Amino acid sequence: MSASDHDSARASLAPVSAHFVNNVLAVTASYIEDDPDRAREVLAELGQFLSYRLREQPDRVDVADELAHTAAYLRLQQARFPDRLALELPPVAALATIGPVAPLAIQRPVSEALDRRLRELPGPCSVVLRPAPAGLALELRGGEAPPQRLDITLMEGVPA
Amino acid sequence: MSALVVLAVDDEPRALADVQRLLERSPRVERVDTAGGGREALSRLVSGHYDALLLDVRMPEIEGLELARLLRRFDDPPEVVFLTGHAEAAVEAFEVEAMDFLVKPVSRERLDAALARIEAARARSGTGSAQASGATGVVALDNPGAEGKRLVRLDRISRIDADGDYAQIHSEDGDFVLRASLAQLEEDWGGAGFARVHRAHLVNLNHAIELRSQPNGTAVIELRDGSRVPVARRSVAALRRRLKG
Repeated sequence: MSASDHDSARASLAPVSAHFVNNVLAVTASYIEDDPDRAREVLAELGQFLSYRLREQPDRVDVADELAHTAAYLRLQQARFPDRLALELPPVAALATIGPVAPLAIQRPVSEALDRRLRELPGPCSVVLRPAPAGLALELRGGEAPPQRLDITLMEGVPA
Repeated sequence: MSALVVLAVDDEPRALADVQRLLERSPRVERVDTAGGGREALSRLVSGHYDALLLDVRMPEIEGLELARLLRRFDDPPEVVFLTGHAEAAVEAFEVEAMDFLVKPVSRERLDAALARIEAARARSGTGSAQASGATGVVALDNPGAEGKRLVRLDRISRIDADGDYAQIHSEDGDFVLRASLAQLEEDWGGAGFARVHRAHLVNLNHAIELRSQPNGTAVIELRDGSRVPVARRSVAALRRRLKG
């Protein structure tokens, strides 16, 4: 994803998916009796996710905030599919050289790739997000399918 | 009240656990089986008898829609209720006949209403499917106020007006459009209480509160939403008999 793509992503910031939110709420409901603490954790995560998405979006956000938002999204997906998803996320310090990015510059490509994967393939899936020369590299591994790699460009002029 | 045997299917284990718990607590339900995907569900459906299938729309391997289509080959298919995260996202699922849809997280009240409809349908048709009547529980309608379609329960539709090649549909959920003739809708929805009262009007008789005769031999039927629909002279006697029955 290039800087101009970021701008178009900013211009067409998608509304929060009611489908996603309702599914997360269904997960939360399932924990209320068995594990109230877990239900509270999922709700807190959903609150963090929604507060980022529903606030007035600036043109650029701190990359640490965008990574935290992506992490919240991934943990919510993990709550939905606890037996299927394993997560490996980079420390924020690993992105220290990256300046502000467009809102959803990380979360959108990650969610598009993961949604497709979950919809099309059964079985476990490891989501690995690692620092790369121009930003981040996403890898989806597991099951019978070959690993899927996606470069997320966060810095202009640096080859992926 | 006859207790139902239900199969609930969802690839999200926690969401499945939630709906399973609600079903197990319902006095309308005798037994709940679960399946974590389409293949497992199909295996259970082949080997056992179910009154109702609560089915997530989006699943890997076999999607809910595909599974519901496969049910058409069954002699006595269960009534299908779709589970979805978002009603508008599930519209394509209504190419197949479904009794109802439930948006997750499912409320006890909505689940109970869906189970009551299934009970009534099973009672009407013995152990057979109410879908044989052609009167399904939910339809996908064009929403003129927004892009895309909206799922609407037939029992919430009060009347339909002819409008060229289209039908203007008035419901408790709003007004919608469907490209269909009144004759076709009368045939498809007649089993759900809809009757042609005029060449330009089809009404849901379950919404009727009064049939008022007019001096010229026609009549006006008043519906519970306050609307008044003209009744053609030739339809008055049959309509009066049907409302009395």
